[in-house]
Amino acid sequence: MELAVEMLNISKFYPGVVANDDVSLAVAKGKILGLIGENGAGKSTMMNILYGMTKSDIGVIKVHGEEVKIDSPNTAIKLGIGMVHQHFMLMPNLSVLQNIILGKEPVKNGLIDVKTAKAKIQEIMDAYNLPLNLDEKIYQLSVGEKQRVEIIKSLYRGANILIMDEPTAVLTPTETDKLLEVMRQLKEQGCAIIFITHKLREVMAITDEIVVMRKGVVTGSLATAEANTELLSNYMVGREVNLEIPGEAYRPGNTILEVKNVSALNQRGLPALRCVNLKVREGEVVGVAGVEGNGQSELIEVISGMIRPTGGQVGFHGKDVTNDPVRSRREAGMSHIPEDRLKMGTAKNCSIRDNLILNRYYQKPYSKNGIMDNKKLMGLADNLCRDFQVKTPDSARALATLSGGNMQKVVFAREMEADPSLLIAAQPTRGIDIGAIESIHRKIVEARDNRKGVLLVSAELDEILSLSDRILVMYEGEVMAEFKRGEADERKIAEYMTGAKRQGGDSNE
Amino acid sequence: MNKLMNKKVTGVLSITLRQVCLIIVSLILASIALGVSGYEPLAIVKGIVNGLTSDIAGTVRWATPLILSGLAICVTYKAEVFNLGVDGQLYMGAAAGTAAALALPEGMNHVISLIIVFLAAIIAGALFAMIPALLKVFLDTNEVVSTLLLNFIAILFIEYLVNGPMMDRTAGTNLNASEVLPENTWLPRISFFDPSSANIGFYIAIVVMLLITFIFYKTTLGHEIKMVGSNPVLAKYAGMKPKRTILQVMAISGAIAGMVGAIEVTAVQHRLLSGFNPDFGFDGIVVSLLANNNPIGVVFSGIFFGALKNGGINMERLTDVPSAVTEIVMAIIIITISAKFVLPKLKPRVAAAKKGGE
Repeated sequence: MELAVEMLNISKFYPGVVANDDVSLAVAKGKILGLIGENGAGKSTMMNILYGMTKSDIGVIKVHGEEVKIDSPNTAIKLGIGMVHQHFMLMPNLSVLQNIILGKEPVKNGLIDVKTAKAKIQEIMDAYNLPLNLDEKIYQLSVGEKQRVEIIKSLYRGANILIMDEPTAVLTPTETDKLLEVMRQLKEQGCAIIFITHKLREVMAITDEIVVMRKGVVTGSLATAEANTELLSNYMVGREVNLEIPGEAYRPGNTILEVKNVSALNQRGLPALRCVNLKVREGEVVGVAGVEGNGQSELIEVISGMIRPTGGQVGFHGKDVTNDPVRSRREAGMSHIPEDRLKMGTAKNCSIRDNLILNRYYQKPYSKNGIMDNKKLMGLADNLCRDFQVKTPDSARALATLSGGNMQKVVFAREMEADPSLLIAAQPTRGIDIGAIESIHRKIVEARDNRKGVLLVSAELDEILSLSDRILVMYEGEVMAEFKRGEADERKIAEYMTGAKRQGGDSNE
Repeated sequence: MNKLMNKKVTGVLSITLRQVCLIIVSLILASIALGVSGYEPLAIVKGIVNGLTSDIAGTVRWATPLILSGLAICVTYKAEVFNLGVDGQLYMGAAAGTAAALALPEGMNHVISLIIVFLAAIIAGALFAMIPALLKVFLDTNEVVSTLLLNFIAILFIEYLVNGPMMDRTAGTNLNASEVLPENTWLPRISFFDPSSANIGFYIAIVVMLLITFIFYKTTLGHEIKMVGSNPVLAKYAGMKPKRTILQVMAISGAIAGMVGAIEVTAVQHRLLSGFNPDFGFDGIVVSLLANNNPIGVVFSGIFFGALKNGGINMERLTDVPSAVTEIVMAIIIITISAKFVLPKLKPRVAAAKKGGE
């Protein structure tokens, strides 16, 4: 078995932090290595070292058995290493073809030889079963197709070692299946793949070897055949993880939130919600399932008061709040964990403290006549950091110094501190590690057991199924179906999610 | 806690050090430019040194409007709004202040009449700043363009005033100016600096700086300005009103600009002169940039630019070096500050290139 890449005894130090401490990993030709671990475990640093984006302080890298020095991505590409980034590195206004050949155009008589390029790419597409229309512009493609472009781009540059950084994080379940199929093809053709992910199921399904990292060190290195999800999550968090969180018996109380016949437009002025009805009562979690972009964001924005509906009403504790501003809804007990914590939930250049005090900075006793009591606010922020286990030495540090999971804890801490009667949680565990997922799920169940209402919007069906007492399925701005806990499984919900079916009659399409 | 303070102090020190280096670099480059053109190379440095020692009076005179303009800029900059219309708001403030001063009864109490004149100027400046602010908030007009264009309207409006309704008809020559203001509306000059026109506007500038610092770090408005500036979507989501905050910062900025107009008219010119303002508004941008948009820093950078301006004027008077050289220094400072954004990206490349060369 020929080893494609070996990274031996890699250590990387940042001021005050050891990102990697004596980490070794290897992947053979035609094999897939799963690299898993919590956020901040050092996976990305390892891959950045391999791809030449940063340099290790100690350690050796061997490619095909020869020791090499990789000081830039160009060197890495020359050595046959390709990387599919989590955030695509593509030019949206150029065609697929132009993006693929960018920087490595075949030239004939001083002109780009489109014919040769097309032929070469066609060859790759046929070999790996990656169909794409080369003349389409990137912005016209779906997320899954964009990813395919990235993969072809790497292969076109002659990569036989592929690093895939959380490639499934942005994909729908169907697209994920397709990607795994492609990875199998690549493997059969002799590619070596390093697959970074949070999702243990995928690791179990596709990899040959698994390396688990935690806090910069390797905590487990084993063949997939010997692994199981429980064992892996234990390696990842260093303790037992339990995503099955038992709650109290389901006893819904008074209605907290009532959405009646709400319609709304999206940012581009197109209809995003059509006559949506839903209720959230005390002591229940209502899950909204659906492929992203089917009106969930607009639904939340209407409920939280960020946009006005074009029709219908929002009732909160029996009062019509349809035209109330955001702040009065918040003061009445509505909390909101936004789906995009960087765009909406936090200001990353401000301090952690500034981000934590947003609900309180203007209220007594933290503030009087518009003058803030910085000492009290500091105390509030420090208490929240402690209570919600935000890992930081000092709440005066910039929010950007935190990992994704810790940022989400900041958002969660802020929103829970307001002691809401209704918690709107949108994609609350997106892109965070399993340890943080567990603690956030626990908090959601806790809120429910404390007789609060929770509206949970998530693209993760697992999450919806394990937490919700009732499940609504949205498709193209409409509620297609409603299930009680245990009435539906993943497959059944997926049918309604894709519009193939609707309760009380067939789809109107 | 102690550790935190230390960290803060070292942070401030390192920024100050960096800005001082910028100044030194730009002075060296300007001196080279002077030397190459056949002038005395150290003229500009000598001018600044004089401006900070024997001729401190002139420096204080120029520093006053520069500090205030710098503050007007830094308030909006914190909210990520760009007010390029300080000059226009300043002119409008000067016009309103002059009109008020000329309308007041002759024998009125000095302090009260000054307060009325300043209030008129502040309100006029703030109102004129409301035009681009409202356009931005309700019609999403880019304030960089609208504030810039409104400057021309203000300049021409003053031109019209001093050639029409407010023209000094008693003056024999065709001077484009209003009548001289009654003495009870003159802002006192600082007697220590006599005969310079350095005036108590400098103290006003310090008070405004303290007020702005207080607003930034101690008030809910300051927190809102910071949040709107760093992430307007977050501000809206948290229940703040970003549009209102934008109107507020523009009003504050315009008010400060109007105050500059009043100071220039009541303390320096004693009448409304067309084109009396040598682009304080744009200089204010450089003042604020050099101070890293920190209100306390603005005082120091305002004094530096005051010394530079003063030194430049003296230099022209005493030697044959043109005062335009001061503008070269300013330009170099702007370029070196912009380099701040380029340098961190350049460093690894330079390091890599060196490695490759070995």
